[in-house]
Amino acid sequence: MPETLTLYTAKVCPYAQRAEIALAEAKVPFTRYEIDLQNKPEWYAPKVNPASKVPAIAYGGPQVPPDQPSPESTKLAESLVLVEFIADLYPNANLLPADPVLRAKARFFIDGVSTKLVPAWHNFLQGKGSVEDLYKAVEYLQEQLPAEGGFAVGQYSIADIAITPFLARARVGLINELGAYPEGEGKKVWEALSSGQGRLARFGKYVTDLLNRDSFKATFDEAYITERQKARYANARAQQ
Amino acid sequence: MPAANRLTLYYAADTPFPHRVRLALEEAGAKYDLILIELSNKPDWYAKKVYPLAKVPVLVYGGPALHEDEAPSPEAATITESSVILEFLADLFPDLLPADPVLRAKARFFIKTVDEKFSKTFFKFVIFGGSMDEMLDAVAEMQALLPDTGFAVGAWSIADAAFAPFLVRLESLLRKNFCAFADGVAEKTLTELQAPTFARVWRYLEENVARESMAKTWDETDALAEINRRVVSIQSAAQNNQ
Repeated sequence: MPETLTLYTAKVCPYAQRAEIALAEAKVPFTRYEIDLQNKPEWYAPKVNPASKVPAIAYGGPQVPPDQPSPESTKLAESLVLVEFIADLYPNANLLPADPVLRAKARFFIDGVSTKLVPAWHNFLQGKGSVEDLYKAVEYLQEQLPAEGGFAVGQYSIADIAITPFLARARVGLINELGAYPEGEGKKVWEALSSGQGRLARFGKYVTDLLNRDSFKATFDEAYITERQKARYANARAQQ
Repeated sequence: MPAANRLTLYYAADTPFPHRVRLALEEAGAKYDLILIELSNKPDWYAKKVYPLAKVPVLVYGGPALHEDEAPSPEAATITESSVILEFLADLFPDLLPADPVLRAKARFFIKTVDEKFSKTFFKFVIFGGSMDEMLDAVAEMQALLPDTGFAVGAWSIADAAFAPFLVRLESLLRKNFCAFADGVAEKTLTELQAPTFARVWRYLEENVARESMAKTWDETDALAEINRRVVSIQSAAQNNQ
């Protein structure tokens, strides 16, 4: 029987949302504690995560208020490590298929999200990378999607959990034209990524499926993310 | 429990990444075939028939026995990226990771720290004259993750497969005063690493080296010769690009 679990998280953070989606998929009780990333509590780094980032999990130990973590709980960090941890703790959540080859495909897909998609997206957002580089990174992942439909390895898995928060935040930015890319590019790029037509047609279908997932919707506050992105990227174009 | 299907590993002697997979295969007691790819002299068929990016390691699971200049059969699975392969082997051979979810998470955090931090500092130090202090800090960071005794998460696991190949190369290159280091750097670094501050990681290295899996997969002379060939070619390519 799994023990008490506290998730230290922040709504704005895509890495943290990975852990939130995984826990929502598992449908298990846990304590959620929001960390203000711009004003972190002084106890957070020494008592929860020395890297001072979210997400982090405090697992086991006595029942304590989340802002008074116990030294007896195990502290874990790194979003992908936490998602695998949740998959191990709650096998009934089916966050990974049973077949080792499909599990390897899921982990390989995640590697592509980390090493290709996220950097290409950040470069594009900051005006340092071309839209073509972004589309190439997307195509790299698109090639791995099963042609007949479904998620990255067929059934919903940690691979889909890894990518969804980034796509959702990219959508908010692009449809609101927030970023250093030329004004007007944003909506065009989102259309290309999500329409289900053209070069990225398969990926577009995948995006729709990801953003329709209940566990994503339950853990994504679009109004809040929009407001935060507007504040953050208001002057991104002017600074180019 | 033996794997139902054939395992074939494409590997090279110099780089630590295929070594990770060989250690895990040996520790699992797996039956497998090896195909050597000399990265300093890559055969054309490798990119054409096996893996377009022509990197190692590549693990092929299933299909008939493979030899050089042959493509894996369509029904075989081709798995790339050493960390992905390590998790795949842990799925086939459950003894390669503990059953406890907390220890599994610690193993994964350990592997991630090697991949995202240690390995970058290692290559910078060994190939591009990176600072000794940065290298020692990176070793200290990994050491801090080790429990007081035993391996990364107690029993030997894929976390050790991920790290030991780097440590064993670091020690060899320093002891043999590898040509790419500036004068005196190797000796100075080795002296620092032999100090009490690093006693824990030194013991950890010795315990990894003492295992049969390391004896079967590490030939220092061979590896250093190949590292020499590759580093020289990497450095001259970097110079030509300047």
